[in-house]
Amino acid sequence: MASTVIGAGITIEGEITTDEDVVVAGTVRGKVTAKEAVTIEPGAVVEADVAGSSLAIAGSLTGNVTAVERVDLQSGSRVIGNVKAARVTIADGAQFKGNVDMDV
Amino acid sequence: MAQARTQSRGDVREARIGSGARVRGRIHGDGALLVEGRVEGDVVIVGDLTIAAGANVESDTVEADSVTIAGTLEGEVIAKGPVRLVAGAHVRGNLRGSAVSIEEGVRFAGRLDCEFDLPPELSGAAHAEERGRAGARR
Repeated sequence: MASTVIGAGITIEGEITTDEDVVVAGTVRGKVTAKEAVTIEPGAVVEADVAGSSLAIAGSLTGNVTAVERVDLQSGSRVIGNVKAARVTIADGAQFKGNVDMDV
Repeated sequence: MAQARTQSRGDVREARIGSGARVRGRIHGDGALLVEGRVEGDVVIVGDLTIAAGANVESDTVEADSVTIAGTLEGEVIAKGPVRLVAGAHVRGNLRGSAVSIEEGVRFAGRLDCEFDLPPELSGAAHAEERGRAGARR
């Protein structure tokens, strides 16, 4: 169970910073910084730079994405921005526009 | 470390700001909100707001259906329903709600704005009656 959950009806305009993990099912505009996993659910709208240990994206995201471990762009996701992580997967059915930096 | 994975959880209506989390900015929308961490900014939701023990909220306005506070809050509370201050709460600001309850062990500084029927000896009707009687005596 995630420690911080932004429900489907909720909008946050600002900055979220946490030591724990974050699940976004609603809307976030601003910035998300987590020490653990960040999950962006289908239907979520994120207009923010997102950083976490690992990121799973199934919703819509506009912004730069940085993960310590990995980023997974899942089927149905729509991502516009740069992705920086050691491991990146882009699933069939994911929409993506931006650069990938695997730090090689 | 657990890999992040989206789960089909259906419609997630609830929102939670975890104890290790800090939000700076505005939170608004539909659904219940539980704050266990720190919020700096306005909260305007259609749903119930709970500020858990240990949580800290600093805002100009907090608007929700019902508001339950066990943590620390600085700001004005406007609730459509009841406002409950639970033991251990520390609240500074004005409270407005359909009902306001303050438990023993709460620290509160502010104004209460709450509509209820005054007992007859305090209500305007009794005053008018008394004034009427006084006038008749004169």
